[in-house]
Amino acid sequence: MKKRILIANRSEIAIRIIRSAHRLGMLAVVLQSDKEPDALYLKYADEIIPAKDAQNEKPIFLNAERIVEIALEHQIDMIHPGYGFMSENPDFAALCEENGINFIGPSPELIRNMGIKTIAKKMAIEAGLPLVPGSDGAVKDAAKAAEYAASIGYPVLLKASAGGGGRGMRIVEKAETMERLFKSAYDEAISAFGNGDLFIEKYLTNPKHLEFQILGDKHGNVIHLGERECSLQRKHQKLMEEAPSASLSPEMRKEMGDMAVKFAKQIGYFSAGTIEYILDESGTFYFMEMNTRIQVEHPVTEMITGVDLVDWQIKVAMGEKLSLTQDDIKMNGWAIEIRVNTEDPQNRFSPQTGFIEKIHFPTSKDIRIETGVTHGSIVTPYFDSMIAKIIVHGKDRPDVIAKTLKALNEFSLIGLKTTAPFCRAVLQHEEFVTAKYTTRWVDTYFTPEMLESEDEELVGALAATIIYATDYLQIASEIPTSRNESLNLWVLNKRIN
Amino acid sequence: MGTSYIYKRDATRLFIALRENGKRFKIYLPKESKPVIDGEEQDINFIEQTDSQYCFDWNDKRYNCELVSRDQNKTIIKVNGVEYKFSLESIFSYIRHGMINKDGKQLNENDILSPMPGKIVDIFLSEGDLVNVGEPILSLEAMKMQNEITATCNGVIQKIHIVQGQTVMKDDLLVEITSIDV
Repeated sequence: MKKRILIANRSEIAIRIIRSAHRLGMLAVVLQSDKEPDALYLKYADEIIPAKDAQNEKPIFLNAERIVEIALEHQIDMIHPGYGFMSENPDFAALCEENGINFIGPSPELIRNMGIKTIAKKMAIEAGLPLVPGSDGAVKDAAKAAEYAASIGYPVLLKASAGGGGRGMRIVEKAETMERLFKSAYDEAISAFGNGDLFIEKYLTNPKHLEFQILGDKHGNVIHLGERECSLQRKHQKLMEEAPSASLSPEMRKEMGDMAVKFAKQIGYFSAGTIEYILDESGTFYFMEMNTRIQVEHPVTEMITGVDLVDWQIKVAMGEKLSLTQDDIKMNGWAIEIRVNTEDPQNRFSPQTGFIEKIHFPTSKDIRIETGVTHGSIVTPYFDSMIAKIIVHGKDRPDVIAKTLKALNEFSLIGLKTTAPFCRAVLQHEEFVTAKYTTRWVDTYFTPEMLESEDEELVGALAATIIYATDYLQIASEIPTSRNESLNLWVLNKRIN
Repeated sequence: MGTSYIYKRDATRLFIALRENGKRFKIYLPKESKPVIDGEEQDINFIEQTDSQYCFDWNDKRYNCELVSRDQNKTIIKVNGVEYKFSLESIFSYIRHGMINKDGKQLNENDILSPMPGKIVDIFLSEGDLVNVGEPILSLEAMKMQNEITATCNGVIQKIHIVQGQTVMKDDLLVEITSIDV
């Protein structure tokens, strides 16, 4: 009998997981949220379970108990959590385990340990990973924080132990502002995570964000699949990624990769995971954290290594041994991922909701599209703004940049504004082209004017004029003395043809 | 005559699109040919239009335009996902607002005076017509020779002061033209 895999997620990642499930001969079961009952991913599934979450504030994907209940009712063998939602919730993984459902991911204990930053850091130190100088655990109060900050030097970063996504995080530039910022970070951490523990570390002013993809099995084998550079961020949200990173020499890549593998082995890690590093301007790297799930940007790694990470997540969960060794992993070319978010980069990235009237993706053998939407899809305020990913492969970095720009020119979406023009501007920016960009790029360089281009402005002027002229000439033609005999403008002629 | 000129008489097809940042486009929509933008015919192809969406092709690039909003002559148009705001004017209202030639003196520089005494044989254009620089406006016969008097700028014929068959003296004002050249 075919194994039944429940995907506790939605949108593009659900479709991505369904593909792997089918390839491995499994039946893909998905949850239908009342908040998007016509979502695209439902079409790809073998079975749809209506979740009836309309009355709840939370969508079904955040309701651990209900998901497990549904899984039991529907004879589910395995659950894939995707990313976000329940993917890094140790209680959910434990609940699956207790109910005899195979959770696709590492153990609840690993998820829990890596989720608590102070524990993760302690384990990293034990494995010999370099850490950004910082407090050994949570600091008691603002006074202790100021004392510690003085010892490592300002600026420093206050971070919630239970945090993520930039919440409960403050940069403190000088001692005088410590008390105020400590309090606001604490309050934010309490309200966001129910835990006000803050730790403190040295703040790197111009860092790059690099991460190594790890893959391990339940038999103690771990390999890495190289790095991704995710420095292009806005408010700690990644906007586009590339693999490999132009900032690493082969020696650094080996050193950082080996360390990541060593760490993963030491903690007994299995499934796909990511070791995040930051790299300062001098080329010194530090361990940041480990993500115990599949990442949004995993396709760039797949593009250059040819390894299917989601396939392996499922196989590892079933106890299969990793057939790949570190020597099997070869990097081929370069890949870039564009995140298409329905956010308006001309207006401080404000979220856009509504209808996607038309969407057109570029097609080529070098382009992979992961989309959760199609013509007529509705973007609701209930979920993430990321609707699609455009992943492009090239033979080297200049080649992939050129191909990605071309792909973006072919991409179109009518109805909502997206971050695609933003990515286009980034790809053309000197700091990106020379690979010098850091996580401060948006704050330092981005202006909405960068989104514009002269040719598009000119065509825009033409379109605006045609719209205006159509009315203008219509009015003119209604006046009997007018010399306008007709409306057959160039544009109207073409319209009939 | 005429076909080699960009502007084809009908000034009602000439518009000005002004961006908030001050950038200005002079857009002429001829009846039978490609649009003329800032005096140059552009090989922009019109692909399709549905409701408020217009799709163009230019130099192998696709341009998807959507009308975002319209308030009188203020228009916001989204091109390939990026918004641009324009205010639109017909050339007549543009001239009326005195936006092309702010000082009156400059206006007169484009007036056509008779270069010599003679007789108006023919007038090729009418008031309100668009005229191209170098385009003959009228024919003046003097010393048994017919001389074509041409426009000194691209512009709109504001007023014609003479009629066919009229005799004129040197420096008589023949035609007033408002330049559309920036």
